[in-house]
Amino acid sequence: MKKLLVVLLITAMVVGMVSGCSKKADNKKSSTNKDGEIVLNYPTFQCGVNTAAEVVAKLVEEFNEKYDGKYEIKLEEIPGDTNYVDKIKVQLGTGDLPPVIYGGGFNLLDLALAKDLVVDLTEKVDADSEWKDLYSEAALTTNSRDGKIYASSVEGSLVGYFYNKELFDKAGIKEPAKTWDEFFAQCETLKKAGITPLSMDTADSAWVTQLWLGALVATDNESGLDFMKTMNPTDYNTPEMIAAVEKVQKMLKEYTTLDAIGGKYEQAANNFLSGQTAMIANGPWMIGDFTDETKTTKDFADKVGTAIYPDSFVYDAPIQGYFVTKQSDPKVEEAAIEMVKFFTSAHAQQLGLDLQGMVPASDTVKVSDEAKDKFPLLSEFIELAADAETRTDNMQATMYSNLLDTISQELPRLQSGDIDAKGFCEIMSKDAAKNS
Amino acid sequence: MMNTKKRWIVIFLLPTVALFLLIYLVPLLIVFVTSFFDYRLTASELSFVGLSNYISLFGDPDFHKAFSNTIIWILIQCTLHVGMGTLLALILYKKVRGWKFVRTVYMIPNIISNAAMGMIFLNIFNPSYGVLNSILKSVGLGHLAKNWLMDSATAFPAVTLVWFLFAGYTTTLVLSSALSVDESLIEAAKIDGASPVQTDLFVMLPLLRKMIGTTMVMAATYMLQMFDLIYITTGGGPGKATTNLPLLLYGAYKGENNYGYANTIGVVIVLMGIAVMAIINKVMKVNDDEY
Repeated sequence: MKKLLVVLLITAMVVGMVSGCSKKADNKKSSTNKDGEIVLNYPTFQCGVNTAAEVVAKLVEEFNEKYDGKYEIKLEEIPGDTNYVDKIKVQLGTGDLPPVIYGGGFNLLDLALAKDLVVDLTEKVDADSEWKDLYSEAALTTNSRDGKIYASSVEGSLVGYFYNKELFDKAGIKEPAKTWDEFFAQCETLKKAGITPLSMDTADSAWVTQLWLGALVATDNESGLDFMKTMNPTDYNTPEMIAAVEKVQKMLKEYTTLDAIGGKYEQAANNFLSGQTAMIANGPWMIGDFTDETKTTKDFADKVGTAIYPDSFVYDAPIQGYFVTKQSDPKVEEAAIEMVKFFTSAHAQQLGLDLQGMVPASDTVKVSDEAKDKFPLLSEFIELAADAETRTDNMQATMYSNLLDTISQELPRLQSGDIDAKGFCEIMSKDAAKNS
Repeated sequence: MMNTKKRWIVIFLLPTVALFLLIYLVPLLIVFVTSFFDYRLTASELSFVGLSNYISLFGDPDFHKAFSNTIIWILIQCTLHVGMGTLLALILYKKVRGWKFVRTVYMIPNIISNAAMGMIFLNIFNPSYGVLNSILKSVGLGHLAKNWLMDSATAFPAVTLVWFLFAGYTTTLVLSSALSVDESLIEAAKIDGASPVQTDLFVMLPLLRKMIGTTMVMAATYMLQMFDLIYITTGGGPGKATTNLPLLLYGAYKGENNYGYANTIGVVIVLMGIAVMAIINKVMKVNDDEY
């Protein structure tokens, strides 16, 4: 009896361990099913509470309907963009990638290209005039390497800043600044009126702060603009960059909240949404927050105005889009190309704009009346942005990813005066060099 | 021939040993081997670089800072933190009024998740509405208020406070060990005229030496793997003021996609762990049966 009990215990232990370790893998590979339909497994972080979730779900539904019996997309939901990037990086390591990847703001395209795992779309795009017309010059730059098109964008990144009209009125400011001198004069005026001028942050790559920084660099001179257009720059120790960092240092020292130092985007946003600060640099995706009563007061949206940056600058660049990875089955690759084409079509871009206020990647997609009614602030901003004289992508989209941490770690020292602007730029250059 | 009892021991141990080999030893060997390679996410294949990663690491000022921070934290944890926990255990051992209550309450911070602890201290040290600055202002010391976690002068001690004060595990383990000490030894010391302090110093502490050594090993390894509390509160900044080796490793892996270099840091952490444990075992004579 005792022996039997021991044997049973060991069996239970081994079975438990083995079953725990070898949970039958879900069939998440893309393949052809028994009806001859090609099933594309598509992992995405654009699910759940993600703002683009509704758009992606609708596109999947429409695609599956259109290609019923031929192709089918099966969504693999990965909540959180960090988890998504981690998953793709792990799959890059093994070379076993899903057929379609959304590059987003994570520059996954270059990582996949380094491993020669991306399908060249040039021929397909050239052969389809409707598809090709959606590529602006900027979209070609974002999605091409060495003259070959590898990806297709659906969304644009159009970023200016928002201001609180009520606080501007209180300080006697009539309209957003046209030049940087005027901008800093307005900051001073707001400060004298007892109003904190700017929402800023330093943690989590300092998204808000680096938007101000990039705008200052891009508008300093031609070299500054060239720098902003350079992919993965390694030399930050330039006169334009140093001059811009000096101004950001002034902003951090004099014109922002105490909790900006070490604070995350959420705190910066909360300071603006609660009426504590007069301005925040951010994209149109924030517009939804202005009417969200869990985040701000009922009438807050009426107080918000939108502006492009001084010296007629706006961040305007298509976000790196969808790309197809090399597959052992050419039929799966064909299906993936159809999916990318469908997901980045004019219809898809229009859907994103109408449903969620996503800025279209192509300027051939116009703001519909539906979007104007639903997102008036966005429409106003798109019109303002159309007149901007200088435009480029934001700094984070082009810098080496390790510099995101460097910025977060060094901005507090810049604010406290432990390092000066030149020291900051030298550290950035040193850390950028670690990638070579 | 193995007797039946030994055979059963081997059979019972086998699954665990097999899992250990699979989950820990094999990856550990991979980490060690790849530390000699240029192993990056973007590289199509590995290339052997000998000691190049180690030479780069030992010449990297960021490594020097992370290494010294890690060592300082280990020293603080093994001495002051364990000392504080032991002192409290010796007080509780006297079974002063409410000792069971204190023992239980002191453990609470240790059962709160690190993520929650990090958030709590972020709020305590918040420069705008933090508890610490509010207290300072309310007692007329507003001029001392600052951004504790982001000031280069205060970030290190401020982060240390996030875990330093909570020695619940040490107290619990040392107290349980003290409670199992033969009462007659304490009685004998009293009869010989030893004061309570002398009894603690010359009778109790030597008897608790092994358990204190064990808690020092636990404290040191806790510091060698400390990541989340620092990541949540300061992210290793300002500058590299609060960066330790695990954070440096994470930066090499996540930011630079340089797995070979990250694994080199991993090897250094493992070697440090072995060295620290050997030193503590030697100093505290953890394996020595004599008192």
